[in-house]
Amino acid sequence: MLKNLRSKLIITPWMIWLGFLGIILLGGLFAGILVFWKGLGITNLTDLVPWGLWITIDLSSIALAAGAFSLCAGVYLFGLKRYQPIARTATFVGLVGYTMAMLSLVLDIGRPDRFWHAMVHWNTHSLMWEVTMCVILYLTVLVFESMPIFASFEWFRKRFPRLASKMEHLHHYAPILAIIGLGLSSLHQSSLGAMYGVIKARPFWFKPEMSVLFMLSAIVGGIAVTLFASMLSARLTNKAKVNDALVERVAQFVGYLLIGYFYFRAWDALATTYTYDPGRTEGLQLMTKGPLAFNFWFVEMLLGMIVPMILLLYRPTRLNHFWRMTALFLVAAGVATFRWDTNISGLLVVMPYIPGQTIAYTNYEPSLIEFLTGGAIIAYGLAAFSLGVRYLRVVDHTLIEKELERVKVEATEPVTA
Amino acid sequence: MTEKNINRRDFLKLTAVGVAVAAGTRAVTHTKASSNAPKGKHQWAMVIDQSKCTGCNYCTLACQAHNDTNPEIQWNKVLEDGMVGDKKVYVPRPCMHCEKAPCVEVCPVQASYYRDDGIVMMDYDRCIGCRYCQVACPYEARSFNWRAFTEPNPAVPEWGDPEVERRPRGVPEKCSFCYQRIDRGLSLGLKPGVDADATPACVVVCPVGARIFGDLNDPESNVSKALHENPSYRLRENLGTGPRVHYLPAVPKKEA
Repeated sequence: MLKNLRSKLIITPWMIWLGFLGIILLGGLFAGILVFWKGLGITNLTDLVPWGLWITIDLSSIALAAGAFSLCAGVYLFGLKRYQPIARTATFVGLVGYTMAMLSLVLDIGRPDRFWHAMVHWNTHSLMWEVTMCVILYLTVLVFESMPIFASFEWFRKRFPRLASKMEHLHHYAPILAIIGLGLSSLHQSSLGAMYGVIKARPFWFKPEMSVLFMLSAIVGGIAVTLFASMLSARLTNKAKVNDALVERVAQFVGYLLIGYFYFRAWDALATTYTYDPGRTEGLQLMTKGPLAFNFWFVEMLLGMIVPMILLLYRPTRLNHFWRMTALFLVAAGVATFRWDTNISGLLVVMPYIPGQTIAYTNYEPSLIEFLTGGAIIAYGLAAFSLGVRYLRVVDHTLIEKELERVKVEATEPVTA
Repeated sequence: MTEKNINRRDFLKLTAVGVAVAAGTRAVTHTKASSNAPKGKHQWAMVIDQSKCTGCNYCTLACQAHNDTNPEIQWNKVLEDGMVGDKKVYVPRPCMHCEKAPCVEVCPVQASYYRDDGIVMMDYDRCIGCRYCQVACPYEARSFNWRAFTEPNPAVPEWGDPEVERRPRGVPEKCSFCYQRIDRGLSLGLKPGVDADATPACVVVCPVGARIFGDLNDPESNVSKALHENPSYRLRENLGTGPRVHYLPAVPKKEA
């Protein structure tokens, strides 16, 4: 019998992939337990840089989950029905992204046992309170929006057929959920930026355009990462089926969005010093000449915006799968880098509070523990998406199209009768 | 009464209910309001005379003992600030207890809040440890408990005895103007700023009398007089936070 099993046990790339993610998850689990046990003292966070890698992962996964609300709004509110299969993928990516954000926040706060306090003790003046509430509510919306996806799980459908059909039925409420989702997302995606934008103690952050940038970058990055994940899974497994014409059209749209994002980002950065507030020039210098210069010029501006803009708007490269995927990946990486740069640039400039003293700088590099746990959060996201592709068919553009056709036939019946 | 016609009685009822609801929410938001500190009978403030301060750090040590802080954490920091003539000048920096405190505004759970005597307080049992207040504070007045403080306090008993509970790991902490001394003192009929037992530990311990504490609502208090008679300034005043800690600059006094 053992022999039989052994002969059945063939190592497939799928298993290698899961094994690889499993190792990272195990490492992160170990590091995470250490964080809860020993406290945040084992990180490289300080009183001057209290927010670091985990907050960046939190901000980035929320940003890259924004495809869910933007594509659902497009499909269910603006009538772009044929993109529904992509919205389905985006919804699942959104669910994964927001749970990733929750995981990193639970790690990051000093008292994870009190995470629920924001729901009970409201401070309506606090941007972070607003973001917390919106994220919790929106995660609930996402759970409802993904119910039909979970209902398509074969095992579940066989085991609980009635529940599955009920969950599938939620599909009919998609437009309502899309409206609520659009509202909640617009609120918290921009408030995430405003959270930084209202901090007058740190002049480099203290500007109204912070929320605009966060919103715009989230839409660009969220759609890009959804398309990239769809294309990549279609290349790697036959469980994922992609309608390339749809992906190509949306990719072109991302290209146009990038122009807007590039314009705002460049304007925001290069007009920073117009007010001559102390601390602004210093922040800008960190970005353009200092330790963040590589990130800003090379990763964010060149690779994150200009290169993908060209690749996605120039037809031959957009039609080429390799270049299109490269471009989409670069966009997502650029958005994550933007979040990192924004968070860290404001913290590294230490404003003096004694009159006449000069601005100082501090530094921060994540510790191994932070990398291990952060890596595990990303591995969790990848694993969840991979499992979704394999068992829930989250990237299956043929699946929904059939459903749509069926609806069409039903609608025309009364006319012919 | 039909569905469409509302008679006067019902109208009045509805109005009353509406007003009650509005007043209720108003009352609720008022106690929660975090953009403006409520004004009570006392308005505590501190005046620090830089011309007197010698940078001895007694205030920091007394603070660490009375508030039982981790030796790595200083609620009150004494910083050097250049020279005036041949004398070094210092800026002792407690929490500013701002009138419009950024930390209170940003706290997602109202763990930072105003007392009606102007003290900006921390509810350590409510705080979730997100550190947004630390990011928002313009004075670096908050220190996070990165680790638990379990060992004996080196400042005790030489500099005083602990009067408050130690804070747990995972929350930021800061100067509280020694609210425990003020509250206890007031209940015993003492006058904060005058009687040592009702006055913040840093003020009491200062060997040169560089710190003055008292009630801004009382025109006869030491702080009111000191601010009336001397030029003073506050830190990062341009931010509009309205600090309750005032400094008398160490400029050479007018030669008479």
